[in-house]
Amino acid sequence: MSANDSNFRAEQSAGSDDSIQQVHAQLQKQKPEKTDGYSMLPLVLLGLMCCAVFFGSIYLAHFSLRFDPLVYSEHANREKPGAVKVVALTRAQMGKKVFDITCIACHQANGLGVPGQYPPLIASEWVTGSEERLVRIVLHGLNGPITVEGKEYNNVMAPLGAALKDEQIANVLSYVRASWGNTASEVTPETVAKVRADTAGRNSYWTAAELLKLGN
Amino acid sequence: MNPSANNRTEQMEIDASAKWPVLVFFAYGLGWLLLGGIMQLAAAMQLHSPGFLAGCEWTTHGRLAPAAQNALVYGWGMNAAFAFGLWLMARLSATTLRHGGWLFIAAKFWNTGVALGVGGILAGYSTSFELLEMPRFVSLLLLAAYALVGVWAITTFSIRNTENVYASQWYVFGAAFWFPWLYAIAQVMLFKAPVRGVLQPVVNAWYVHGLYNLWFVPMALAAAYYFLPKLLGKPVSNYYLASLAFWWLVVTSAFAGGSRLIGAPVPVWIPTMGIAANILVVVGVIIIAINLFGTLSGRFEAARSSLTLRFILISIVSFILAAVMNLALSMRGFAATVQFTLLDGLRDWLTFYACFSTAMFGAAYFILPRLTGKEWRSGALIKLHFGATALGVLLMVVGLTYAGWTQGNMLNNAAMPFTDITKAMSFWFAFRTVVLGLLLLGHVAFLLNFVWIACPINSQSTASATLRTPPALSLEGHA
Amino acid sequence: MKNGLALFLGVFATLALSWAGLLLTAHKQIGSLSQFKDPADETLYPQPLSGLANQGRLVYQDLGCVSCHTQQVRQQGFGNDLAEGRKWGERGSYARDYIRDETVLIGQNRIGPDLRNVGSRLGDAKAEEYAQWFYKLLYAPQSVAAGTNMPAHPFLFDVHPVAGRQPSPHALMLPSKFAPGPGREVVPTSRAIALVAYLQSLKDTYDYPIERSRNTPAPKEAGH
Repeated sequence: MSANDSNFRAEQSAGSDDSIQQVHAQLQKQKPEKTDGYSMLPLVLLGLMCCAVFFGSIYLAHFSLRFDPLVYSEHANREKPGAVKVVALTRAQMGKKVFDITCIACHQANGLGVPGQYPPLIASEWVTGSEERLVRIVLHGLNGPITVEGKEYNNVMAPLGAALKDEQIANVLSYVRASWGNTASEVTPETVAKVRADTAGRNSYWTAAELLKLGN
Repeated sequence: MNPSANNRTEQMEIDASAKWPVLVFFAYGLGWLLLGGIMQLAAAMQLHSPGFLAGCEWTTHGRLAPAAQNALVYGWGMNAAFAFGLWLMARLSATTLRHGGWLFIAAKFWNTGVALGVGGILAGYSTSFELLEMPRFVSLLLLAAYALVGVWAITTFSIRNTENVYASQWYVFGAAFWFPWLYAIAQVMLFKAPVRGVLQPVVNAWYVHGLYNLWFVPMALAAAYYFLPKLLGKPVSNYYLASLAFWWLVVTSAFAGGSRLIGAPVPVWIPTMGIAANILVVVGVIIIAINLFGTLSGRFEAARSSLTLRFILISIVSFILAAVMNLALSMRGFAATVQFTLLDGLRDWLTFYACFSTAMFGAAYFILPRLTGKEWRSGALIKLHFGATALGVLLMVVGLTYAGWTQGNMLNNAAMPFTDITKAMSFWFAFRTVVLGLLLLGHVAFLLNFVWIACPINSQSTASATLRTPPALSLEGHA
Repeated sequence: MKNGLALFLGVFATLALSWAGLLLTAHKQIGSLSQFKDPADETLYPQPLSGLANQGRLVYQDLGCVSCHTQQVRQQGFGNDLAEGRKWGERGSYARDYIRDETVLIGQNRIGPDLRNVGSRLGDAKAEEYAQWFYKLLYAPQSVAAGTNMPAHPFLFDVHPVAGRQPSPHALMLPSKFAPGPGREVVPTSRAIALVAYLQSLKDTYDYPIERSRNTPAPKEAGH
């Protein structure tokens, strides 16, 4: 284009609207004549469409993970729901929650307690020892001096028998017995229920001396 | 009777009937383009100069950025689309736009709604859902205004004098229905009877993707399909594929909204379905490219010297680029890096600005002399507008791609403190501000020319346009 | 296509198909996701927001925080949201986490960090200390995060002279560079208090057993 003024002169149309519609309507009905290079087009397009549909479907099938509404990760396990064992929480895992609410204030998240004030739970003979003795402490609380791992503590632990159910006590005790290096066995709700029944009439704190005398 | 003279009279009647509604919509649109552009520029500045306008509650970034976006999309975008769509429907249906007075009411309602909406966002009534931030009460006003416009477009179509329906008409027809349905359903599912939990972002993603790909893209494609044969004098190449492309494109695009939710806490089949849809979209895009580039082949010189076609060319290339970007962002590995970065925002910008807005600019340069009977007064301003737009699009695409990639890598580098990322990105935020400023400059140039050609007082001294009757398109030489 | 009716039906079908396929199916699947009852402590999770936190959610919405912040922690293996150093959460977010929010704003931009677990980011800090950190972040972001591009929100605070009244217990303890000057204090308004309550409520700590088992990565031997 030559002169500058042609830049802002309105452009002329090269085809009327009428003819645009007529011509294209005709074209829609007829395929172009088969000249070299054009007969390939429909085939190529067909091929492309098939590829796209193929890849798209494979992708959809592979990554939709059975259209499971609760799966958010495309790397999730692709086996059928039945085949995957539902990972049941162990008592220890469920007990952590109770611990985090009830016990953590004194015994601390790392189980070390507070020196001189609250005894540690790590490698504590009271924790890893007798199950029933431990349940008794939780149910009715502990008062007075107690020796844990060679150190003496003299404080009050509140009774939790009313606040926690058997299941919860079993879980939290299983948790402390299996954490921070402790490797003692689980505590079952049945054990807790039994101890609760055995000590039904009691409404006072235990002392360490009493518990040691009771043995296991 | 001389058939070509008849043709011309009819066209002049059609253009005369459409003149004032189209001019009014364009005027509102350009006003919003400017206002929204300024707000967008201010919001962009806040990203690298956070103290800018931060003291005032009305201009805090969280309100200014969505307000700017809504002003641009519903203010500029919709008004421009209304103007173009109504004119095109009238022309291709070979019938006048009847009772255009109602369209003034529609324009008034629509723009009042947008003003209330944008003002509402700035005042703190934002709903915070992308592109649905305008306060609830505005939606009824907008839908009522749209109903008028939509009914006009469809009625014009239904009383058409032509036997045949051209490709551009399919796109405008489809869009005319898709927008109100998308908008109404989104309003109901998010605000009237809100769905629970993460379904809300799913509805939002469906709406946003639908708005861009079933309203704005069809308008841009309608422009491309119309202006290429119109200005090149040559039929669209391989036109028999056009209807296949249309259906393929819209059906697959409608499903692709889920691809905006990759990695989100939604059931994984939703983004997967979106990704599969994006893979399929590519075929539609390829066919449309065959149509449009086939038409251009052998006619590039003519296209480059036509102002309208230069804009349309940017629009078509951006359409293809946007589809490529959608596909790239659907690749999970790539998405894991560039999600939530500037690159993510680039995808939508490409569709809305680089594809749709440039098509509307091109259309405006063609339509306005025919409606007003005047020439454009300043060639320099036109050059400025086109140059700014072309350069701006190029800079934005290249710059933000690189910036987004860097940002994504930094975000995923867990050892890097967040403030370090911010410091590293401040150059790119500033870059983005500069490019937005450049684009705004081009818009100001366009607005000036518009005022000179369209406003009755200002255009007295503008030269009249001489428009010849166009010849009939011929099938000869159609290869 | 000559027939307007055929065109209309096609246009209708396009949207109807995508609405049904995407939205309706998703709604059937997770539209009525409910709380999960923990078998051990018999509590329902996620726990609902407190009234104050709910009001704070409205402030979050009004100020448009979602323009820069996401609230979605991505799953293990996709991005690095859970890695040491970033630690935006203990686990990826699940759909069930969001049912307690009336408006779910998972966000699209990370111009700022992800906020889904911002309520548990300061570890063992007491609630009031933590709240102070948030107030300082909102009033003068540079005072707690130098170099950030988060805008200040001074309109959420009330700056007034202390003379003649009790110094407020909520007054911000700002470093001298950002402090309002001698004899003046910065006190959060009720909107700031609500917003911070909301931010502090943002912690998804419960580990839903079903979602966890379904989202664990497939064992390598199983192949792809």
